Amino acid sequence: MMKNEKETSTIKFVLNGKSVQIDVPPHWTLLRLLREKLGFTGTKEGCGIGECGACTVLLDGMPVNACLILVLKVDGREVQTVEGLGSRESLHPLQQSFIDHGAVQCGFCTPGILMSSKALLDRNPHPNRDEIKEGISGHLCRCTGYHQIIEAIEAVTHK
Amino acid sequence: MTPSFSYKTPKTLHEACDLLWNYQGKAKLIAGGTDLVIGLRSGDFQPHCLIDITRIEELRRIDEKNETVSVGTTVTHSEIASSHLIKRYGKVLSDAASEIGSPQIRNLGTIGGNIVNASPAADTLPPLMVLDAYAKVVSKEGGREVPVFQLFKGPYETALKPHEILAQIKFQKLPLDIRNSFVRLARREAMAIARMSVALVLRLEKGTIEDIRISIGAVTPTPQRISDVERMLKGRMPEEMLIKKASQKVSEVMIERSGIRPSTSYKAPVLEALFVRAMRNALEAES
Repeated sequence: MMKNEKETSTIKFVLNGKSVQIDVPPHWTLLRLLREKLGFTGTKEGCGIGECGACTVLLDGMPVNACLILVLKVDGREVQTVEGLGSRESLHPLQQSFIDHGAVQCGFCTPGILMSSKALLDRNPHPNRDEIKEGISGHLCRCTGYHQIIEAIEAVTHK
Repeated sequence: MTPSFSYKTPKTLHEACDLLWNYQGKAKLIAGGTDLVIGLRSGDFQPHCLIDITRIEELRRIDEKNETVSVGTTVTHSEIASSHLIKRYGKVLSDAASEIGSPQIRNLGTIGGNIVNASPAADTLPPLMVLDAYAKVVSKEGGREVPVFQLFKGPYETALKPHEILAQIKFQKLPLDIRNSFVRLARREAMAIARMSVALVLRLEKGTIEDIRISIGAVTPTPQRISDVERMLKGRMPEEMLIKKASQKVSEVMIERSGIRPSTSYKAPVLEALFVRAMRNALEAES
């Protein structure tokens, strides 16, 4: 039985450093809330079942698949998306490095990989190549073959 | 489209038991959601209510008490993989947890969820078998403790009653000189479901196998120890010929439990090789 779409709950969370309070249907995922209600379309929907990593955001600093998170789970917590990483005027060092190393081709996987890379560097500022590979192992990229992405992340760790 | 449902976030186990009881089988528990949310999306699950148990503090802890380690049901795979306590006293479990899915999945998925989803390919199950782990199950009617292997009735089917909550996993600390090995084979390393896995722990005393526990994953309907092979190896020197014979027995046990399938001609020799590899890893490891 479909219940009324208007049945909502109120959640409060911090999105990219700003407090958000919003009414949401409990069956929505965080991904849907971000893209369809809040307009944060930097986070992509790929597979929708936690396999591709395109929807990766940081929840309390940890990379997670936003497509697998029901919205009420984020109540009282902190979410970071690619929109909070850098701005057009001042890119995050990872974003600049991705551009410099040709790590962006179609770009669809890029926001998610940036978020996993950020979480990795926050935890471990100087990862070796294997740790970088492990850090982005939850992402599919069908364009680059990953080499440029790994090089882009590696370049940031040497700064 | 996911149909709507109500969503409860109890703060205590008591409250969660009451909620589950009151919904009389129409509510489902949610922890990490890595399996459940996919089931909601596909329409496989249509609960009236979801009860999120991840805000219950007592279910989120890893503790030790005398010779026992306890792991709360909503402890995530990431937390298990990095827990000093589990790495020290049950490394076979932390090794397996570190190989599940992807970093994102490990940050969400929980040990309790891995158990109650009851997938034959669940990565934590063979380690829990060799740890002789048991589960604390609670409900409005009270609590009970049961060996983890008895929780499974078949693939994706547990023996838990609809109003019961798997609250905690416990195991006796392994001796510090025990050797651990967990090896898994999947179509690729990351984000792939195990095609088969072998978990084992063993202790050597003056060159002979003083104790050994073995379990295999993904190739049998439910997880179990392989006591026939354990008996074969116990008290013997781990020589190549013996390990080879033991590996053949492992694949015989797989066939006994799962029957001959189109994939058996592939799986039998590969499982044998995986078992030999697991034995070598354990024998070569620093104890």
